Amino acid sequence: MESFSLLLSGFETAMSWSNLLYCLIGVTIGMLVGVLPGLGPTTATAVLLPLTFGMGPISAIIMLSGIYYGAMYGGTITSVLINTPGESASVITCMDGHPLAKQGRAGAALGVAGIGSFIGGTFSILGLTFIGPPIAEFALKFGPPEFFALMVMGMIMVIGLMGQSLLRGLIAVLIGLTLAMIGMDPITGLDRFTFGQAKLMEGFDFVMIAMGLFGMSEILIGIENQGKTQKPPKVKGVFPRKEEWSPALKSIGRGTGLGFLTGLIPGTNSVIPAIMSYSLEKKLAKDPSRFGKGAIEGVAGPETANNSYCGGALIPLFTLGLPSSPTIAVLLGAFIMNGLTPGPALFQSNPDIVWAIIASMFIGNFLLLVMNLPLAGVWAKIAMVPAKLLYPIILLIAILGSYSVNNSLWDVGAMLVFGVIGYFFKKVDIPIAPIVLTFVLGGLMENSLLQSLAMFEGDVLGFFSRPIAGSVLVFSMVVFVFSLVSGFRKKKSMIASDIEM
Amino acid sequence: MKNAGVWVGCFIFVFALIIFSTALTYEYYGSIGPGPGLFPLWLSGALIVLSLLYIAESMFKHKISFSDILPRGKGLRNTILFILSFILFMIIVPATGFCIAGIIMLFIVLLPSYKWYLCLGISTTVTLFFFVVFYNLLKIPLPVNSLGW
Repeated sequence: MESFSLLLSGFETAMSWSNLLYCLIGVTIGMLVGVLPGLGPTTATAVLLPLTFGMGPISAIIMLSGIYYGAMYGGTITSVLINTPGESASVITCMDGHPLAKQGRAGAALGVAGIGSFIGGTFSILGLTFIGPPIAEFALKFGPPEFFALMVMGMIMVIGLMGQSLLRGLIAVLIGLTLAMIGMDPITGLDRFTFGQAKLMEGFDFVMIAMGLFGMSEILIGIENQGKTQKPPKVKGVFPRKEEWSPALKSIGRGTGLGFLTGLIPGTNSVIPAIMSYSLEKKLAKDPSRFGKGAIEGVAGPETANNSYCGGALIPLFTLGLPSSPTIAVLLGAFIMNGLTPGPALFQSNPDIVWAIIASMFIGNFLLLVMNLPLAGVWAKIAMVPAKLLYPIILLIAILGSYSVNNSLWDVGAMLVFGVIGYFFKKVDIPIAPIVLTFVLGGLMENSLLQSLAMFEGDVLGFFSRPIAGSVLVFSMVVFVFSLVSGFRKKKSMIASDIEM
Repeated sequence: MKNAGVWVGCFIFVFALIIFSTALTYEYYGSIGPGPGLFPLWLSGALIVLSLLYIAESMFKHKISFSDILPRGKGLRNTILFILSFILFMIIVPATGFCIAGIIMLFIVLLPSYKWYLCLGISTTVTLFFFVVFYNLLKIPLPVNSLGW
């Protein structure tokens, strides 16, 4: 009940005119990047992060979160209408969504996806509302060893689940952590790895790393693959047939649970629950042969699952301070830049902010439902903006954004360098996401490690004398060994190594 | 020489080596506990080992040649133009100010796709629009020339 009353006070803040406006801007940008193939929520949040300076923490995070979950809605439209997923979580929607569109039933596919996304999104935020606070309260008992162990687990899960190669994943993790070491040592105040450069004394800015590795590298890849745009078909009617309601609602229910639970696991991404949901629906269907030819459940389940995932994935961030995916890492960066530290104390120290953000997500999901059902055809036309015009404009926004962080061209140059590095890393299959995830955690991880070692008087085995830290580290080792063995046997998952989440 | 994986591996190796050798100059463990060199030393040490493994893998198992990963034809031209125009922007912007540098950069990037007068129109409109938004409305002190733009 306490959560409920706090949520109500959150609504009070979230429903101020300015916050409603930022929520609307966020979900609209999210829809835009979802609709535009090649751009994803990670790129959009990274590029727009500097623009949120000066907005205040609530408005900034409301807007960035809106981009995150808004993109999940937008990606569906192009998957259904022109068989081109706007973002990776909607890849699986092409399987049945586009065949439905070819049958003249694009409206039904988009309608059921919109309803499913709304239900999945809303239920997962309800989960965040009621499960988040108890987890945070429990985590308040954690000390530095437990946090260090949790961060290790998060990283191992990221490289174990996300990457195609453990070696490449580990390299990415270590690069991110090493980059985080550059700058002033938080304990002794010593300048580390600055090589006489005053600009490096405060280390690399998170915005530069995220904008370069995610934004610039994506623009470079987009520039070299400028495909032709395809004209979308007209959208008529937005509801499925009477007999389709029951199976669609059941798929939505299953997708909601699956997406939410997957979101709780660090290192997963929104593609995983979407694929799992599709495969589950196909297995449960009386006639699986319909799948791939326009089965409504093939749209309802995965689309619900990828939206439900978003709410679930925010729980590790809000309660433990652990980013479970790249977009969440950008959100964590936004929290830190606004002087907030996500983690167990956040619910107690800044309840006004947390509950306003959660409340805004309910509002954002409702706005998205309204924007999607009657306006799907309008959004589809945006996908017609040619890439050859789009990418240069995004480049200019990225330059302005990186410059505005410190009003310095040095940051713009750093973004370009990280962009080129990210471009080549992507080409040789070194995943980018773990670099950014670990960069944002690097400082926290070093602090907790050093504090723990000081507690244990330098004895590394001291971690295993604490039940939670020890158990989490043992679990991490098991996951690591499993990833190693499955890597050798080439039975790794089919999930792509570095996808937008 | 044509193996992109080896080059990327060498880049990571050199980066890790620089960090490792620098970390050796910092205190590893002091009187008050772990020093500033402890964590970076272990990280960069592990990165050196992994980069060597990656180089070996790239040489013998997972070969990626530059011709497989780099774009060709129009794609290559667009990418090179894009990077060069960005570098040109960085060089000239302190002298010319944001507007001229931005227009030139966008003009170069758009030139392969549109007629020159369209490129000029689009690049001028887009640059001036963002200049007004960032400089005048958001009050961000963008680099400007002696004329104030």
